[in-house]
Amino acid sequence: MGVVEEAHNVKLVGSGDQTIVLAHGFGTDQSVWKHLVPHLVDDYRVILFDNMGAGTTNPDYFDFERYSTLEGYAYDVIAILEELRVKSCIFVGHSVSAMIGAIASITRPDLVTKLVTVSASPRYLNDANYYGGFEKEDIQQLFEAMQSNYKAWCDGFAPLVVGGDMESVAVQEFSRTLFNMRPDIALSVAQTIFQSDMRHLLCHVTIPCHIIQSMKDLAVPIVISEYLHQNFGGKSIVEVMQTDGHLPQLSSPDVVIPILLKHIRYSIAT
Amino acid sequence: MMLSTATQLSTPPTATPSTVVPLANRNIYLNPRLQQGGTGQMGNQRSEEVKKVLDILVRTKKRNPVLVGDSEPEAVVKELFRKIESKELGAEGPLKNVQVISIEKEFLYDKNQILSKIKELDRVIESRIVSGGVILDLGDLKWLVEQPMSFGGAQQQQVVSDIGRAAVVEMGKLLARFTGDGTNDNNLWLIGTATCETYLRCQVYHSTMENDWDLQAVPITSRSPLLGIFPRVGTERILSNPGENLNPLKSVPTLHPALTRRVSENLDPAQRTSFCPQCSDNYEKELSKLVAIEKSFSEAKQEDNRPSLPLWLKNAKLQSSDAKTIDQSEGKYQEVLSKQKTQELQKKWRETCLHLHPNYHHKIHSDRTAPPALSMPSLCNPNLFVRPPFQPRLQTTKPLGEVLQLNTNPVTSQPQGCTSSIPGSPVRTDLVLGPKGTENTPEKATEDGVKDLLGCISSEPQTKVLDKFADALDADTYKKLLKGLKEKAWWQAEAATAVASAITRCRLGNGRCRGAGSRGDTWLLFTGPDRVGKKKMSSVLAEQICGTIPVIICLGSQRGGEESDMNFRGKTAIDRIAEAVRHNPFSVIMLEDIDEADMILRGSVKRAIERGRLTDSHGREISLGNAIFILTGDWSTTNPEATRDGHVVDGKKLASIASRDWQLGLIVREKSAKRRVNWLQNEDRPIKPRRELGSGLSLDLNLAVDTEDDRTDGSHNSSDLTIDHEDELGLVGRQFTITSVPHELASIVDDSIVFKPVDSSFVRREIKNTISVKFSMVVGDNLPIEIEDDVLEKILGGLWHDQTSLEQWIENVLAPSFNQLKPRLPSIESRGLVVRLVVESDSGERRNGDWLPSRITVEG
Repeated sequence: MGVVEEAHNVKLVGSGDQTIVLAHGFGTDQSVWKHLVPHLVDDYRVILFDNMGAGTTNPDYFDFERYSTLEGYAYDVIAILEELRVKSCIFVGHSVSAMIGAIASITRPDLVTKLVTVSASPRYLNDANYYGGFEKEDIQQLFEAMQSNYKAWCDGFAPLVVGGDMESVAVQEFSRTLFNMRPDIALSVAQTIFQSDMRHLLCHVTIPCHIIQSMKDLAVPIVISEYLHQNFGGKSIVEVMQTDGHLPQLSSPDVVIPILLKHIRYSIAT
Repeated sequence: MMLSTATQLSTPPTATPSTVVPLANRNIYLNPRLQQGGTGQMGNQRSEEVKKVLDILVRTKKRNPVLVGDSEPEAVVKELFRKIESKELGAEGPLKNVQVISIEKEFLYDKNQILSKIKELDRVIESRIVSGGVILDLGDLKWLVEQPMSFGGAQQQQVVSDIGRAAVVEMGKLLARFTGDGTNDNNLWLIGTATCETYLRCQVYHSTMENDWDLQAVPITSRSPLLGIFPRVGTERILSNPGENLNPLKSVPTLHPALTRRVSENLDPAQRTSFCPQCSDNYEKELSKLVAIEKSFSEAKQEDNRPSLPLWLKNAKLQSSDAKTIDQSEGKYQEVLSKQKTQELQKKWRETCLHLHPNYHHKIHSDRTAPPALSMPSLCNPNLFVRPPFQPRLQTTKPLGEVLQLNTNPVTSQPQGCTSSIPGSPVRTDLVLGPKGTENTPEKATEDGVKDLLGCISSEPQTKVLDKFADALDADTYKKLLKGLKEKAWWQAEAATAVASAITRCRLGNGRCRGAGSRGDTWLLFTGPDRVGKKKMSSVLAEQICGTIPVIICLGSQRGGEESDMNFRGKTAIDRIAEAVRHNPFSVIMLEDIDEADMILRGSVKRAIERGRLTDSHGREISLGNAIFILTGDWSTTNPEATRDGHVVDGKKLASIASRDWQLGLIVREKSAKRRVNWLQNEDRPIKPRRELGSGLSLDLNLAVDTEDDRTDGSHNSSDLTIDHEDELGLVGRQFTITSVPHELASIVDDSIVFKPVDSSFVRREIKNTISVKFSMVVGDNLPIEIEDDVLEKILGGLWHDQTSLEQWIENVLAPSFNQLKPRLPSIESRGLVVRLVVESDSGERRNGDWLPSRITVEG
């Protein structure tokens, strides 16, 4: 096993002509896809990996400078694909990884044939003529809370983001993976994500994009999906699901999995 | 795309084909830290192990290391050889000139030649050993216990182990020959690697090998990335963490402490009481749901065990023999887990039931103390449906005057609806209002109220708990509450009315419907800049409804003036709220400055409002019981000019004024020219007593007569004041707007109440009037009292921060001094005189806890 696979806990499962990359978002790891994977393995070759900084990766590999922009993560994705000699793939990205996938597709248009984004946002902060859902002060407070008591922050953040009761399995799962992250790394990753602004890059994304979004999502207002749809350079399609929370694939798999499968299997009609 | 195949990671000095690790294909996108991986963190771990091996090599006994581990122990051997090759071990020690000879793997496959090969080795070693010793690399020891399964069968196996045995003996002889000379120089060492399984087999098949070969097993820990797989499996799998099986060095945790504790808690038989039928029904329903979920989960798990699934779904990459046990233990763990979940569910319903149906538990466990929580069933109390919830509409432009009206003419000023249904109550109200606060404890009053109420409507026996709750719904309570609110925060008359009716409405169960069903908790949102008014009203609410002081929890940034309780260190605001509710589920909890709270805190509070439950930072969830929550926030914008010009009371300025130690004095002087300016308030304006609240009963009677007189002859006065007041309201209203109360908050609370900024001229005049009235009551109408603005400012400042109300202070401090003054005054012929309330001393810091002076000096 190569260094890259080892460092990212790369898992190759299933078999098929097409390759699907499942990329997780902030505070989770590849296990966030556990409900989806069993449905893919019969028809596809599925690549699972952990983003650097996730609780399951070696914190020593986390280069604070490399990962201060989303490009760092995108290069990781490409490195993994190179390592596995993947020629083309369908990239399914959740949350921040959707944008990472977009960057990767811009950098190497040959590698990614289709982008499926789940709960993606190009920009979390509000701006003139743009509603991202967060004010600068909100974010600042969030960072401060993370710094002061990470455990308490996790416990407060998880139910908010997942949108479920504390005792729900999804919240438990998310707060577990969230708390697995080293606090300083979590803070750095959160800062990177919340300060990222991908809006100017969207027009360069020329591959077809399937935008999947929860009805109610604390992190991503519903208007964002429309924004992405309008601004992506290539064809795109939006599906808003009747789900609640930022991690619908974890909290409402029964709704999300069929939708995800549909978008993975079928292309946008021309 | 392979850009380079640079091999800094592994440059084996001796070609050992068996131990070549696949090289990392570098590409330009690679994280630079990964390129350093071999020498970086991973290297650290490896060098630790190399050091361990070296330590063994220099020993005299058990000095031939076998590296045992499942994660590439060869890498450690290679690293060791690299160090030997590059002379990194230093010039000292027995290993300084050592040479490495590897047994080639191909040789070993030909079992029949093994013995002759060993003979051959003998010669090679002999030729080289003189130069400083030889390390014989045996590679993976599995050749001793395995063979290519070309023929299979027990026969073949037997033969192989015979050959293996012979090899062990020969090797032992070889070793003995070259170490026989006793010196530590020119030695022969053996080094080998093995998986755990191989090593165990070696021990079984070649029982003498360990001694003959002078072996020392060195456990090689798994690489961290490999370990890293398991944290993901994490707490869920703690009982069957496969990582432990792979890693012989790590001690196996027996049981998660929290887990055991939790389980034992749940097993406590005393706690396993049943719930009432209704709740047990609900419990059964949830249980069946849980079971269904569990089942679907375990099905999914079984599906997961299909071979094509990733490791984290299958648990781990394991030898097939191990996998079975893991599965079993996992199954067992699943059982424990589901049992635990059931128990948690039981506990939840037990608690819910305890809250919801205290009577049931009273009956069953009369010895057990029921929780103080009062609850919703009382809403079903038939009594309460007799009277529809009322919307009291009191005209409260003149708060004190209103109370006066209430008293003198009770029937007309009663809210509609009350009069018709409770004919007795107006009479009783007078009695309640009459005496001083000390006698009039809320408990007593409410008991009266309940008796009255029940006497009127129903004679159905009630439990004490229900009584106490019912009293909060009493119409009289509304009046009492309003009166209390107005007394303590008289400058917020409108808000007081709104608060009182909101509370009454909510307590009647007409609050906003949040979530499913009715709930006991009440949420009010106080907006506006008047912090003092909000706080005062909260204390009145707490005192009247719960008989306690309010719990005040600041959600925003701590303000300088407020000392923070040491007990709250390290606790999140949510924890403090949870603690307060736990401590007393029937309390008033004031959450200050929600507008300054961070997003998460706001979100948590919002969720609490929506769900009626609160989750603290330990994940414990508690019901909010019947607590009244008061959220405060400003969200207002006041015209800065208004603040600057002093139209609006500025809290900070007041604090600085009041924080000084100041004394008041009464002096009698000749009338000054100034007097003319104040004539309206001080003399000619007919006296309008509004001081029946805190004063004695006897005074009330006298007052009533006075007022009656006033009314008959001087109606211009009240209208005058009303106009005045409206004017000011208009002024303040123009300069103040509540903006941007977040809709998400305003839409889910039971009611939001606006606290306007306080108009300073209004409050000053109020204080002045109240004092004047008292003065004329005590001393007489014919002597005016003059109070300067700076004195009023100080009194106001004191009132702002002190717990006492204006009335209390006048009654307890001012009135006695008036009484003191009275005999010293000259006879009735004091036309030219005026009494002035002045500041006697104003010296620096405040000495004691009181903000208002506790006595007033009187000069003759």
